[in-house]
Amino acid sequence: MILNKVIYADVTILDLIIVICVFIVAIFIAKTLSLYLRRSLKDKFRADKLEILTKVIYYGIIGVAVIIAFPILGINPSGLLVAGGIAGIIIGFASQSIVGNLISGLFLMIERPIKMGNAVQIGEYSGMVEDIRIISTTLRTWDGLYVRIPNEKVFSNSITNYVANVARRFGYVVGIRYSDDADQAISIMKRLIEEHPLALKNPPPQLFVDNLGDNAVNITVRMWAPVSEWYGLRMEMLWKIKKTLEENGIEIAFPQRTVWFANELNKREIKDPDT
Amino acid sequence: MPEKEENSLEKSKKGSDGLSSPVIHKPLFGYHEIPLSISHEGFSISAEPADEIVVYRRECGQEKVEKTLLVSDARLLINPVEPLNTPKEISPHLLIEFDKMLAVEPKARRKIFLTFPIEIGVFISAKREHKNIDVFGLHKQKFTLYGDPRVGVICKYWKSGVFSTAPALDPLREGVLRLTIINTTGDWVEATKAVFNAYAMKIHYNDDMVSMKATMKIIGPHIAETNFIDSPLEKNMINSLELYIARKLAVTEPKFVMELGI
Repeated sequence: MILNKVIYADVTILDLIIVICVFIVAIFIAKTLSLYLRRSLKDKFRADKLEILTKVIYYGIIGVAVIIAFPILGINPSGLLVAGGIAGIIIGFASQSIVGNLISGLFLMIERPIKMGNAVQIGEYSGMVEDIRIISTTLRTWDGLYVRIPNEKVFSNSITNYVANVARRFGYVVGIRYSDDADQAISIMKRLIEEHPLALKNPPPQLFVDNLGDNAVNITVRMWAPVSEWYGLRMEMLWKIKKTLEENGIEIAFPQRTVWFANELNKREIKDPDT
Repeated sequence: MPEKEENSLEKSKKGSDGLSSPVIHKPLFGYHEIPLSISHEGFSISAEPADEIVVYRRECGQEKVEKTLLVSDARLLINPVEPLNTPKEISPHLLIEFDKMLAVEPKARRKIFLTFPIEIGVFISAKREHKNIDVFGLHKQKFTLYGDPRVGVICKYWKSGVFSTAPALDPLREGVLRLTIINTTGDWVEATKAVFNAYAMKIHYNDDMVSMKATMKIIGPHIAETNFIDSPLEKNMINSLELYIARKLAVTEPKFVMELGI
């Protein structure tokens, strides 16, 4: 019978079909289970942790399939480990950059300076972390571009994680005219910050006259916001401050210069021809 | 179809003599048949059936909400929910700052009454299943940071007076929290705030009051553990349908450990 035909050693076509079936079943189970977990735990787990969990389960099932399949194919797993070790050294020398990326990827996963979904700046790229793979990290830049950065580069570059802490501070310098009351301006801005729910109560906001500039009394305004909300708040508050100050007769100063003439000017009045 | 009911929720009205005369109407919290129209100082709610749909409308201040519900035979459930959803659901923690610092004697167990903000949850109920369709609040909203930006947590902020008995409050705006403070240390401890995992809140209500019970176990000069107790403050209070129950979310750790100061 054709199924009993030996391919090599004791391995027959039937064994090969069994192995293929084991892998198909394993891939099917792994995909179904990870899809099910991804859907059912979506609301209960953070996206990055869920991704790691599903990947571990997926590759774990595939690993079990490999362990089942090897003896059927007449491969001794212990011998494979020795061969794999030697092969690893050879491959390592042959492909240093890939190994470098791989090791960097492992260190990134252990150190975890960035997580999936974080807003980060890595070197010249700024955006949202889409995925951290074993060889590379992918970002979606703020203008929607897909950027793949090798992990070695991620690891060796300086990383700014904008959302690593729960709150962040931002501020403005508001320049008002010398004729305006700075105390009143501070009091108005303090009230606006106090009234906004997303401007944090603690750490408290800071408002003070920072310097007496050439054209304006410069008031520094600093406030804290939840890290997920700071950018929206920053955009909202600046315009609100400007409008409210103007409604109260306080104007944002603009560059101006007073010119004094050494001699009295010779003035000539021009009459309006229509009058 | 039942007749449209007009509910006014004012608890009392001042007469011409300036004295309060009780004008009790149907309470807001509880089940309501559709059609429904409720107006109250600060907000209005309506649910109008039209063929196979129900149009839900709510106004509160400048905010207007309109939703179309594909349902034929349903009721609305309105009850207090965890005060975490407005203006944005960004934190599961509630920080209550005491208006006065509390000094707690060593090895003591004392009960105090605080206030907490109320958010009103509206659920559509059909075939024994509830779906949250709206949440709003009449209180002032504010967030704060407990701890430092690196290891702290963002919390909904509320400042409360400290009372020895349950204060009389507007149940649409504030609830009563009975906090049992247990000082397990052998030293005097100063407390200025309590932080709670608000997803584990157990809210109960009746016509006059919304209440919760909680404990604050002080285990060090700067460390305490807070927890909610599923028990009403008075007899015949109804258990609120909290949002985390409606959403079928599992609360893995109902306690909150205040490690960053009390």
